[in-house]
Amino acid sequence: MDPTDLILFERTVQRAVAEHRGEALDTALLELGWHEALALDPQTAVTTLFMLLGSKHGSSSSLDHVLLHGLGLRELRVTGVVLPPLGQAVPPGELESDDLVVRGLGSAALLAQPEALVVARAGGTVVAAVVPTADMALRRVHGMDPELELVEVTGRVRATAARQELPPSAWSSSVALCQLAVGHELIGAAKTMLELARQHALERTQFDQIIGKFQAVRHRLAESLVAIEAADAMLGAAWEDGSATTAAVAKALAGRAARTAARHCQQVLAGIGFTTEHEFHHYVRRALVLDALFGGSRTLTRELGVELLTSQRLPALVPL
Amino acid sequence: MELAEFRPAVDSWLDENERRLTPDRAAATLDEQMAHLATVKRLAYEAGFMRWGWPPRVGGLGGSTLLRAYLGEALTARDLVEPGIYSMTEVLAPTMIDYATPELAATMVPRLLRGDETWCQGFSEPGTGSNLASLSCRATRTAGGWRVTGQKVWTSLAQFAQRCVLLTRTGAPDSAHKGITALFVDMESPGITVRPIETMHGAAEFSEVFFDDVDVPFDRTLGEEGQGWAVAMDLLPYERSTALWHRAAFLHRRLERLLRAAPPGALDPAAVGEVAQLLYALRARSRNTQRRLAGGEHLGPETSIDKVLVATAEQAVFDLVADGLSTDILIEDDPTSERWRREFLYSRAATIYGGTAEIQRNIIARRLLDLGPDR
Repeated sequence: MDPTDLILFERTVQRAVAEHRGEALDTALLELGWHEALALDPQTAVTTLFMLLGSKHGSSSSLDHVLLHGLGLRELRVTGVVLPPLGQAVPPGELESDDLVVRGLGSAALLAQPEALVVARAGGTVVAAVVPTADMALRRVHGMDPELELVEVTGRVRATAARQELPPSAWSSSVALCQLAVGHELIGAAKTMLELARQHALERTQFDQIIGKFQAVRHRLAESLVAIEAADAMLGAAWEDGSATTAAVAKALAGRAARTAARHCQQVLAGIGFTTEHEFHHYVRRALVLDALFGGSRTLTRELGVELLTSQRLPALVPL
Repeated sequence: MELAEFRPAVDSWLDENERRLTPDRAAATLDEQMAHLATVKRLAYEAGFMRWGWPPRVGGLGGSTLLRAYLGEALTARDLVEPGIYSMTEVLAPTMIDYATPELAATMVPRLLRGDETWCQGFSEPGTGSNLASLSCRATRTAGGWRVTGQKVWTSLAQFAQRCVLLTRTGAPDSAHKGITALFVDMESPGITVRPIETMHGAAEFSEVFFDDVDVPFDRTLGEEGQGWAVAMDLLPYERSTALWHRAAFLHRRLERLLRAAPPGALDPAAVGEVAQLLYALRARSRNTQRRLAGGEHLGPETSIDKVLVATAEQAVFDLVADGLSTDILIEDDPTSERWRREFLYSRAATIYGGTAEIQRNIIARRLLDLGPDR
């Protein structure tokens, strides 16, 4: 996008996320051309929207579309999508002889769709199957972050003929794209937590001075900013690099940065941050759940470690 | 010269000259490291590589600063130079280019690039560590120039140095950052005494430097009288940009080395993954800084984030070394173990030198988070 289009696009998305959530936001994004932007310039479309979703603790089914885009199945826009199960980045389906076993999550949009796309492992290959939603059990998730409006999906359905084999790299590149999207959402949430704590540190007075004068408080906030900026830089590098490893590193760093920010900022916000009278709790909830989507930071970190110890090589990611 | 062209040229030159450029043994003494560094710089200068990324008026061949960043990375990643002593050039040459008279810069900078000379940085004093603006090493005007009296400490490589970028007090004792002037001093001047300090990692890397009525000509003033604080503030971001990119390459190499050296099962995969992620994040951040520098942006307090990241990553890498190679670190005395031990011990200083971790966080809180003064 050229700079003028970019500013206009950002403003439009910003307004949509500020004014709508859930289904209404999905409609607004469709109208403003976010899906076309995703096809033409995925980095701009994903970065802009997901940062805002994180900073406004919004909800939408946009991650479905990022997954479809990554799989090269954009034309399936009208179908619901089953996302991987909590904490993992594996396909939500497994083909067992004639049955498709499904275990995953979805966005609220899935409830209104007659059919859903389920990516499944089938022996050594990965297939995309379209399954009637009514054949699976869908449970609205309340959980840690009700506003995220997740749906838990389980089921064992007869595998229909409506399935296609995916190219070998399709799943991993789609996961990489989704990890970047969730990574940006985590950073959006973390930046908002830091801003809320920063404002509080400048306003709250104790011992006749604002608490922002105390080094213990300042250093917690500084520590949060370092973690956020490091993860943000890695997300940028991962877009350039485009590899699955780099995206997983960026997602893990973003998850850890959001947890770091949550811990420090909660402490700085103290009593008021513990109440529902302050908006902080929305972001803590959001960060914890997002960290577990498409691979949690702990799992991704451990997997990277195992890979490095096996290969005994440290790939020269992020070249100058 | 573009980076895409420079990179393979450097790589193949290093391939061809690997033998001449490789130091003799693993646990080289600091004296040996310094001698070897001079050789590497001379060879790289003669081959032209050391001159790219520096302006022609100081003997350079022009081109983006990314070229310098890459050369240092390649030399470090191949274990041909120790990054700390190599990167002193990145810290001091830009200061000379920005603040010395054009004639002085044109004479002196090529000597530093070519490895003919070592320079040091006289900032800290016994009573002046983190609070740099309180320095008291005095320079007074005489008919012929400045006369310097006072003491510096933690001056890296002073015992090897021919020149020193020295911060002096020229204003009233309480003039704080307003009364500081930077001078470029010949270390052979009468009245200078250097006493190396033995450190816990077994190298006398820095020294105490005593100045007893040392005469320095006026044309060795860097910037104007009273501008020393600006000189120092402009120098620090260099210390936190290209030099730091080189250090990241060193950490990358040492972590990879550890993956191969550690006995099976000695390293916790989760810990390995986390340290590797830290290094990648550091590279991503530092690369953005490199690109901003190359784009002509003025670097400022945001480089404190890079500095916090490198210090954190360095200690994390060597904490992992201490886990995975504990026998080597604790009781072995062969040169390879000696090197691991020395590097582990040196990593303890990563959160102290060049502005402590606490000072960096103070800068971040005040300048980046806009929390106002802390007093």
